[in-house]
Amino acid sequence: MRDKRLTFKKRLHILKHRYRDKKMAPAFNAFHTFLYAPNETTHNGSHVRAADDLKRTMNTVIMALIPVLLFSMFNAGYQHYAAIDAANGISREVSLFENFLTWDNFWIGIVHVLPLVIVSYGVGLLIEFIFAVIKGHEVEEGYLVTGMLVPLIVPIDTPLWMLAVAVAFGVVIGKEVFGGTGMNILNPALTIRAFLFFAYPTWMSGDKVWVQGAVERAGGPDAISGETILGYLAQNNASEFNYSVSDMFFGFIPGSVGETSAFLILLGGLFLIFTKIASWRIMVSAVIGSLVMGLIFNGVVDAGWIGETSKFYGLMSFDFWKHLIVGGLAFGIVYMATDPVTGSQTNRGKWFYGFFIGFISVMIRVFNPAYPEGVFLAILLMNVFAPTIDHYVVRGNVNRRLKRFKNATVYPKTTEGEGAKLQVETV
Amino acid sequence: MLEHIELFFKSIFIDNMVFATFLGMCSYLAVSKKVTTAVGLGAAVIFVLAVTVPLNWLLDQYLLQDGALAWLGPEYADYNLSFLSFILFIATIATMVQLVEIVVEKFSPALYNSLGIFLPLIAVNCAILGGSLFMQSREIPTLGLAFNYGLASGIGWFLAILAIAAIREKIRYSNVPPPLRGLGITFIITGLMAIGFMSFGGMLTGGGSEDNVTDAAVAKEEEKKEPAEEELEENAVSFNQAINK
Repeated sequence: MRDKRLTFKKRLHILKHRYRDKKMAPAFNAFHTFLYAPNETTHNGSHVRAADDLKRTMNTVIMALIPVLLFSMFNAGYQHYAAIDAANGISREVSLFENFLTWDNFWIGIVHVLPLVIVSYGVGLLIEFIFAVIKGHEVEEGYLVTGMLVPLIVPIDTPLWMLAVAVAFGVVIGKEVFGGTGMNILNPALTIRAFLFFAYPTWMSGDKVWVQGAVERAGGPDAISGETILGYLAQNNASEFNYSVSDMFFGFIPGSVGETSAFLILLGGLFLIFTKIASWRIMVSAVIGSLVMGLIFNGVVDAGWIGETSKFYGLMSFDFWKHLIVGGLAFGIVYMATDPVTGSQTNRGKWFYGFFIGFISVMIRVFNPAYPEGVFLAILLMNVFAPTIDHYVVRGNVNRRLKRFKNATVYPKTTEGEGAKLQVETV
Repeated sequence: MLEHIELFFKSIFIDNMVFATFLGMCSYLAVSKKVTTAVGLGAAVIFVLAVTVPLNWLLDQYLLQDGALAWLGPEYADYNLSFLSFILFIATIATMVQLVEIVVEKFSPALYNSLGIFLPLIAVNCAILGGSLFMQSREIPTLGLAFNYGLASGIGWFLAILAIAAIREKIRYSNVPPPLRGLGITFIITGLMAIGFMSFGGMLTGGGSEDNVTDAAVAKEEEKKEPAEEELEENAVSFNQAINK
């Protein structure tokens, strides 16, 4: 058995068999299926042959997230140096190959973004393993996507211990108490974000945290600014700022680690729609919802119902379509709202669910100066109401069919049983 | 008009009875197993709140407040009967709940049976008394606004119990660890839902002319603390009663 020619895969397989029915079995199973395609086949019962199991689904989402992650690592450095330049009075134009895709920028990404990813995965998967071993079920793949989303939606200077605490909270309270993957009611990544936001607000909002280094330099002679566009607008009641539309679209702006590039998020979203992993209904309706709310606000400003002295004036007069390319709205719509577990699960329900996400997100942005980045809260709120929407969509469906059933009694009644049978077939 | 809309929105989402003040938890936890029952109880709570808050506003304005008896004559002007608030408010509420009970029993016996003891227990539901007491402590100025406040608070409570009932129907298929099944997981869900509702916290307070309003609200928050403790006791009492039954 201890032949050196054995591959790693084979050894894992042997280990797996040795620990079968022991407590640690799920841990070895998880490694084995994660690294290699499982080579067991079912022996009895019905089985469906499909290429996309849960693990493949999760991996597809991660593939859609990789470009965003890479971009965010460059952008971390770019924003850092751009803020230093700005503090020294040097204005800089973004140029993809000259000052964006540079080693200096990437190094800041490696030093500050990768640890977030590692901590998120380390803590989350550790908890998943512990729960799997205690409860004696297989390790589920649900955390693979969550673990990738979490570092992308936090500010870059989030202390690692905070992230670890929040991840522990999110995985245990947000997911494991409901029985694990597929059972939770709130998106675990957003639960983690919300925990961070309400537990450590100074690290999660304000005008310092969004650019690497802005917090530690604050108050010193080399202080740099680190606020997001939305934060700036909410603070100064402005509707103009010094970023161009293409900067916002391609993502050369400060913000949470991975939320800035609407362009790459759009590509990821198209990829997810193409592979049928995410629901296009939710994405489309969420975009419609945010545009509608933005248009309403613009209309209110154009009609002159709100004076320039109002605190809402700046954000209300912000062009409605720009809401989609600043802040976390695009990221939230594509990667968070489309979570198949916590979102609405009926097709008609998805339209309502998505619409209200867009609608409420923009509403929170404008009306709630404390939370200019309130997209995640809107999605959490709609997660809460998704089961209600589903319930009424299903009830509506049942009622409609009952009505059709009642109207379909044109068949001659031969015997009671046959008549009823005929009617059922027509429904 | 604007103040009506603002109060309506605020009472439903920002000061939600369940998620912001955690009132009315006993029936909220106990009757939220099925959506249809939850809708029935929610509708009853909307009705009772929408009727009792304006009634109690009248009581407060013309009987209980400091100097409210001035309409009887100048010699009554310095009477302050506000120590009678609790007992009179509860009397109004109990009357209204009796009315609701009679109507529900007559027109929907099925709902009456599924609500069981929790329908008469609305009388000691802290959300209902809380509505009247908040109305008193926030000094809602007009009868129309009081009605608006009662209705909107009821709708907020209705939305809360509707959402949790749908969630509980959904998680019936979840593999919840045995020690947490039932009430335990419901408490956790309520907490998580409250996080979702926090999206509205602090909303509408940023407007230019509303700064005075918020200051006044903060001042009243501090005044409000004493009644809040009373409500906690109410809460405990009603919960104990629910358990005893």
